[in-house]
Amino acid sequence: MTTTISKKVCLLGDFAVGKTSLVRRFVYNLFNDKYLSTIGVKVSRKAVAIPRQDGVVELNMILWDLAGSEEFEQLRDSYLRGAAGAVLVCDLTRPETLESLHSYAEDLLRVSPGARLVLAANKHDLTDQWRLTPQQIEAAAAGLHTSYYLTSAKTGEEVETLFRWLGQMLVEPTPGTSR
Amino acid sequence: MNLTLAQLILQDRQIAYALTDRTLRIVEAGGAMDLFGKNGVSCLGRALVDLFPELVGSEDLLAEILAGKRPRLQLDWINREADGQTLYLTMVDLPLRSPGGSVTGLIHILQDTTGMGNLGQELAQRRNELRLLHDQLARRNSELAAANTELRRLDDLKSAFISSATHELRTPLSTIIGYLEMLLEENFGPLHGEQHEILAIIQGSARRLLTIVNTLLDITRIEAGRIELTLRPTDLKALVERLVAEFRPQLEARAQHLALEAPPELPPALCDETRAMQIVSNLLSNASKYTPDGGKITIALSPAAEEGFLQLAVADTGMGISPDDQPHLFDRFFRTRTAVQSNVEGLGLGLYITRSLVELHRGRIWFESKPGRGSIFYVTFPVAGPAEDTLAPPGGAGPGFGFRATR
Repeated sequence: MTTTISKKVCLLGDFAVGKTSLVRRFVYNLFNDKYLSTIGVKVSRKAVAIPRQDGVVELNMILWDLAGSEEFEQLRDSYLRGAAGAVLVCDLTRPETLESLHSYAEDLLRVSPGARLVLAANKHDLTDQWRLTPQQIEAAAAGLHTSYYLTSAKTGEEVETLFRWLGQMLVEPTPGTSR
Repeated sequence: MNLTLAQLILQDRQIAYALTDRTLRIVEAGGAMDLFGKNGVSCLGRALVDLFPELVGSEDLLAEILAGKRPRLQLDWINREADGQTLYLTMVDLPLRSPGGSVTGLIHILQDTTGMGNLGQELAQRRNELRLLHDQLARRNSELAAANTELRRLDDLKSAFISSATHELRTPLSTIIGYLEMLLEENFGPLHGEQHEILAIIQGSARRLLTIVNTLLDITRIEAGRIELTLRPTDLKALVERLVAEFRPQLEARAQHLALEAPPELPPALCDETRAMQIVSNLLSNASKYTPDGGKITIALSPAAEEGFLQLAVADTGMGISPDDQPHLFDRFFRTRTAVQSNVEGLGLGLYITRSLVELHRGRIWFESKPGRGSIFYVTFPVAGPAEDTLAPPGGAGPGFGFRATR
């Protein structure tokens, strides 16, 4: 039996960490190197089939790609309301983007307390520019009680896996296990 | 209001609306319907949330509006892609009330705010790009600062090594020169012609070597800021006369004519006599080196244009300095093309040291030159004040210094 459900998923993180690129890679399998800052929110959707014990669930993921700049902080609550999950995105080449994830998670959980989280440490392809270690990412993920993936929107590395893992969390009645 | 007129206004202002029943199915729509996208034409009867995915997750809030518990729901700056362009929309949901006041559904309003959105996007884009650039620059600066620290450390090591090595070289070299002088003075017995000639050559080379060692030692001291001046009121004219006497044999050997011009009364300069001697000696030596045999060198002493200073000028009728070389003349290890081509001896450090010493005296050095016609080098020294009969390094008095600045 196939059930269809829709869930709102927010992408959160500082500007230029690659939130839009992750969505674009996941939804359209496309990538563009040019940085184009997002203002407000861009909503995309992608349906994914998620296996469950009682059958397959067709999960309609409504992806909210939110502006990373702080001038949208005041609007952020209205965007975060009703979110079932979120991808917290940081940039492996900018350590400060990992530090701010805690505050994004707090904002989200204040407005949508049951939201499931996953951490995407993006730009994994820029190996020579990493300024964050997997250990730092792991520690941050542990602090947020979530899993993490080292992703690259450019190459597509772990992008599908990340969203599918979150999708699985969203359709499961109990929290899943970390990687 | 006339419905056609209302439609016209909504169209012009790019506003679209949809009215729903209490099950949130659209029962009426109007205004700028193209904002509804390709589903706009067939929106009647469809669920509002199906048509507007932005409302997914907000079902509870919509229910609160229907229940009269919430006045409105508003989402600003919603991005939509349309024909490759980004459309910015504001979405508002309000309660739709019957004439009796009960909520019968929702009024869903969409307004195109693309004009403002594009401006906002451009601002955000530029600001974020600047911030990224700023972060990159900050990172680069910090990397450069670390590299500079390391370079300074290596430079200090190098200076310490040169300083120590030159110091170690100078002692045996002085002994060699001393014994050579004694040999040449025949203190250890008579020398025949060829022996004398060879020892004189060795003595010349040893003295040149000592000059090089002293120059390197000066460089390391200057760069480490370890040159200390013993500033005393000094009769510059007497100092120059002594130096001229020393240079006389060398100048005569090349038939160079030297003139000293000085007014009868000149106040004393406040300088370190040894270092002032080195400054004038460097300038005079250069003038001689770059002036052809039979040329003329003039040293002129006078009050400087700048009050409280004396000026010393060394003019020659030498080869001059090409305009290309002039900006680099005081650089370390810089040698003019003509000097190299003419095989004039030197390390390219003399003028660098001279300038450093002049500046340590708080004076100035500059030059005028015409290729093929000669050069004039100017140096200024501060005039000694009446109470300045003690010592002081520039930039601050050390223990026991009683220097009073005259500038």
